[in-house]
Amino acid sequence: MKEHEIVDDLNLAYLEEARGKKAQGKDVPAEAGEDFKLIGQPTARIDGRLIVTGRAKFTNDLTLMNMLHAKILRSPFASAEIVSMDLSQAQNLPGVKAVIKLKEGRVKYEGEQVAAVAAISEKTAEEALQLIKVDYKILPHVVRPEKAVEEGAPQIHDSANVEKFNEYSRGDVDKGFAEAEVVLERTYKTAVEIHQTAETHASIAKLDEDRLTVWDSTQAAFSVRDGLARTLGIPTSKVRVIKTYMGGGFGSKLGLNEHTVVAARLAKETGRPVKIVLNRRENSLCVGNRPSTSITIKGGAKKDGTLVCLSMKNYTCGGVGRGDRCSEPLIDIYKCPNVKVEEYTVYTNTGASRPTRAPGHVQGTFALEGFLDELADELGLDPLELRRKNYSSANQGETGIPYSSKGLNKCYELGAAKIGWERRNKKPGEGGGKIRRGLGVASQIWWGAGVPGTLADIKIHRDGSVEVICGTQDIGCGTRTYIATIAAETLGLKPEDIAVKIGDTVYPWAPSSGGSQTTPSVAPAVRDAALKAAERLKQLVSTTLNIPASRIVLAGKKLFDKENPDVSVTFQDAAKELRREAVFHGERSDLPAGFAYNSFGAHFAEVEVDTETGQIRVAKVVAVHDVGRVINRLTAESQVVGGITQGVSTALFEERLIDDNTGQMVNPNLQGYKISTSMDIPEIVPIFVDLIDPRINNLGTKGLGEPPRIPISAAVANAVYNAIGIHLREIPMTPDKVLKALQGKEANS
Amino acid sequence: MKNFKIAEPKSIEQVSGLLSKGGEKVSLMAGGTDMLSEIKEGVAEPDLVVDLSAMKELPFIRKNRDGMHIGAMTTLADLASDPAIRSDYPGLYEAALSVGTPQLRNVGTVGGNLCQRPRCWYYRDAKFLCRKKGGSQCFATRGRNKYHAIFGGGICHIVYPSDLAPMLIALDAKVVVVAPGGEKVLPLSEFYTLPSKNVRRENILNPNEFLREIRIPPPKKGERSTYMKLKERGTWDFALVSAAVKATAGGNSFNDVKIVLGGVAPIPWRLEKVEQGVMKKKLSESMIKETAGAALQEARPMEENRYKVALVEALLVRSLLSIA
Ligand SMILES: Cc1cc2nc3c(=O)[nH]c(=O)nc-3n(C[C@H](O)[C@H](O)[C@H](O)COP(=O)(O)OP(=O)(O)OC[C@H]3O[C@@H](n4cnc5c(N)ncnc54)[C@H](O)[C@@H]3O)c2cc1C
Repeated sequence: MKEHEIVDDLNLAYLEEARGKKAQGKDVPAEAGEDFKLIGQPTARIDGRLIVTGRAKFTNDLTLMNMLHAKILRSPFASAEIVSMDLSQAQNLPGVKAVIKLKEGRVKYEGEQVAAVAAISEKTAEEALQLIKVDYKILPHVVRPEKAVEEGAPQIHDSANVEKFNEYSRGDVDKGFAEAEVVLERTYKTAVEIHQTAETHASIAKLDEDRLTVWDSTQAAFSVRDGLARTLGIPTSKVRVIKTYMGGGFGSKLGLNEHTVVAARLAKETGRPVKIVLNRRENSLCVGNRPSTSITIKGGAKKDGTLVCLSMKNYTCGGVGRGDRCSEPLIDIYKCPNVKVEEYTVYTNTGASRPTRAPGHVQGTFALEGFLDELADELGLDPLELRRKNYSSANQGETGIPYSSKGLNKCYELGAAKIGWERRNKKPGEGGGKIRRGLGVASQIWWGAGVPGTLADIKIHRDGSVEVICGTQDIGCGTRTYIATIAAETLGLKPEDIAVKIGDTVYPWAPSSGGSQTTPSVAPAVRDAALKAAERLKQLVSTTLNIPASRIVLAGKKLFDKENPDVSVTFQDAAKELRREAVFHGERSDLPAGFAYNSFGAHFAEVEVDTETGQIRVAKVVAVHDVGRVINRLTAESQVVGGITQGVSTALFEERLIDDNTGQMVNPNLQGYKISTSMDIPEIVPIFVDLIDPRINNLGTKGLGEPPRIPISAAVANAVYNAIGIHLREIPMTPDKVLKALQGKEANS
Repeated sequence: MKNFKIAEPKSIEQVSGLLSKGGEKVSLMAGGTDMLSEIKEGVAEPDLVVDLSAMKELPFIRKNRDGMHIGAMTTLADLASDPAIRSDYPGLYEAALSVGTPQLRNVGTVGGNLCQRPRCWYYRDAKFLCRKKGGSQCFATRGRNKYHAIFGGGICHIVYPSDLAPMLIALDAKVVVVAPGGEKVLPLSEFYTLPSKNVRRENILNPNEFLREIRIPPPKKGERSTYMKLKERGTWDFALVSAAVKATAGGNSFNDVKIVLGGVAPIPWRLEKVEQGVMKKKLSESMIKETAGAALQEARPMEENRYKVALVEALLVRSLLSIA
């Protein structure tokens, strides 16, 4: 195994060098973080009390003077022609202030917006919707991708229902297959998943003269602002978007939504603020979903497990929208010289897809990692051994540029030890009994290096109070808390001493909160601003104390001489020296070229399968992640727990179900669309390998938004395979499917 | 949601009076956990809601000489925490505890549980005008029918969702119905009706009648009972299939056994063939399977619910052996 550890050691060497220097009493660059007292520790959320006591204001909690309520009429049909629409009765209902048409011609999915109403109350708006008379001519529909690809299927768009959208190739797969000693071909399927945010979408739009202010439950204040400016034809400078607290987005709030535009249009039409809140049904139909996939992987290996070729064909369905690109994990993560990828989107008469926490990677990983386990069995190898055998230190399967850091081997090592990997069935399904146990593993790769140019300001007032100001949004992950922690760490204060101002486009720019970008963008910018502030204070105090600035340390709300701690001034007194309110601008720097920046992880799952009832219980998950430096260990662990909860849920339960005959969804609610409950969540052990990336940013930190969501469904499916000896190759793995597979196995044997 | 009036009667007579008024659509509300969601979804549109929560005389659990009397407004939480219920009818305790979640059990009542409306997703969604709502088709027949009936379907494939009903029927419970002219007492097994009788309703209640009380005979010597429920997830889930079993054991066989299934038919589904097959015989896994197999020949699964047949078999083995 030694040969694989070189890459992991990259960072250890860096850290050890810093630690060594420190041991010798030498100066260690602040970036090494050797002296951190807060960063890396578990810190309770600074807004936790507000949230759990119901005082934190969500968009839906806000009421403006004179505010109207909007509702949207949506197509009940999957495919129809709007022959005529009569708004007059709705317009005449007392309390209705505006009714607008949103659609003419053809509607292509259930839930597509048709018209909207603004009225003095939600109830009046609802009543008015009933009074809008729409005459539809129903057209043929197709909602199942397997049917949409058939000759003569109803056509969704002007182009064909199947469209190639991605191709990739390296080496020569044909040559690869010729060299391979073992070749395997398997197809894996994933269902359509709905983003079930606890808080459904909500926006309020208010127009003052020509200035538009929008309160939105969004992951992307700046992109909503830009989108509104573009759509409504007003200058960006006249649009302001504010995001308060929110209850989840998972991608369905990543950018401008149609209903937000509707609220703005109605605000314009009525001259009054307009609020719109979507319900669970709308949430299920028309704000996005994770595309389904059917991915066929054909791969070849040498008998010793060396991968020689991988080819992949993906048919993915995002309704009237695009499917997901799912090939990245296959292209990137394992050493393999010959790779070929073709990806096709299939259109159907269902709501458009939207990025869903780790778009493409979740489905691609389910397929790739399942395939590797089946291949391992074919080769008679330990699945973990097969992964380590094909470990790569450069991207594109060792054919690209080196990773800046990669702690995956460490993840394997720690995870295998913690779960007791040796307890797995050496041959899948070899254990007996009605209740079978199994262990499974899956690897993860994701981006999440952050966005250069992200800005954050630190303002120090003359009374010594401190603000951090940044336009980023806390979408529930604890952004406010780590912003306070980093500023406090750098300035020698406590997190509660820092006022955090975020979630507003009048503040300095920050990227959308998606793709695990927030922490590696915002944290370094805050750190940069804080370091500048600290430097300035040191300079000022160095004159007062008559010692060189380099000897001054900020800690315990003081600035003091590290060689003689009694020589000190309080932070408050130091702030007075600034003479006036001072602002320090921080920026997230560029990423050094020539390296690939990725996060890695491995999940180990232990399951129990009841072979008579098909029920699966996930007993334990050990989740080991390489995300560079952990900023807040508590919220980082929460992030892992959240990702696993979601992934277990899609592995076992979640599926959008549509009635083929009517084209309508049968489970647009939380009764029929099942998500995991507290009783379904396994014991979860989050572990971080703490390998600080030497280049990625001034804190050495990578994003953790999607990583814990990526490998979990695959790890659970692999554990089920290990337990019963059949890979279901399809999620969700509900009892009906498990029983069918088991009966199939019995029939074959 | 349509506006409605609400009445809070304080006596049985007042309830009867309100239900008999006629002219307007009236809905009874007990805990409201089921019926309020029907109103919110636009499936039920009553003009008047008769709220039973002020009925002081309806929540009770009383042990009498002729058995246990349970008032319709008794909450499921109270039922599950009653020591006499737990010791005399362990299966009922298990059934009560298997309903929904603690929040639902704190509010949901015995009467509401026994009179709840089906959970079929076509019925529960106003956009599907199915037979149960006065339409002309059962969408489940050729549609998404994973959770639907494998027995007794025919023109409508709902499954009756109550967890208490199968167990109470297995325990030979009687139901006390208040009608305008007085009271009726009948076996709970005769309370539920198949769609072929009246597809719009699930029981014999007329619009002017309501359920007042449940009476369970005292346990016989050596009586045992159990309720087993298979769900997709750990909690907050209706039964895929459930089995309620009551038996009196002698030696290593049953002198008398009653088996009622939930989740498989539009009404709680008794398996008399299996009862006959296993009675007074030495119980074993293979013998139960064999008997169950014969009875399950009568199942009529559709495209997506065939797996329920295997679940019934597994559940019969487990429940019968657990009390043998
Ligand atoms: C999320 C969720 C999960 C659930 N899970 C389960 C489950 O696992 N198992 C289960 O069995 N049930 C379940 N239920 C269904 C049901 O809500 C409960 O079982 C509860 O017991 C119903 O009682 P209630 O008092 O709230 O009934 P209500 O909602 O008040 O009434 C239900 C129906 O019964 C009628 N009714 C009520 N009382 C009487 C009476 N005395 N006489 C005549 N008619 C009457 C009402 O008119 C109404 O039609 C669930 C419900 C929800 C919302």
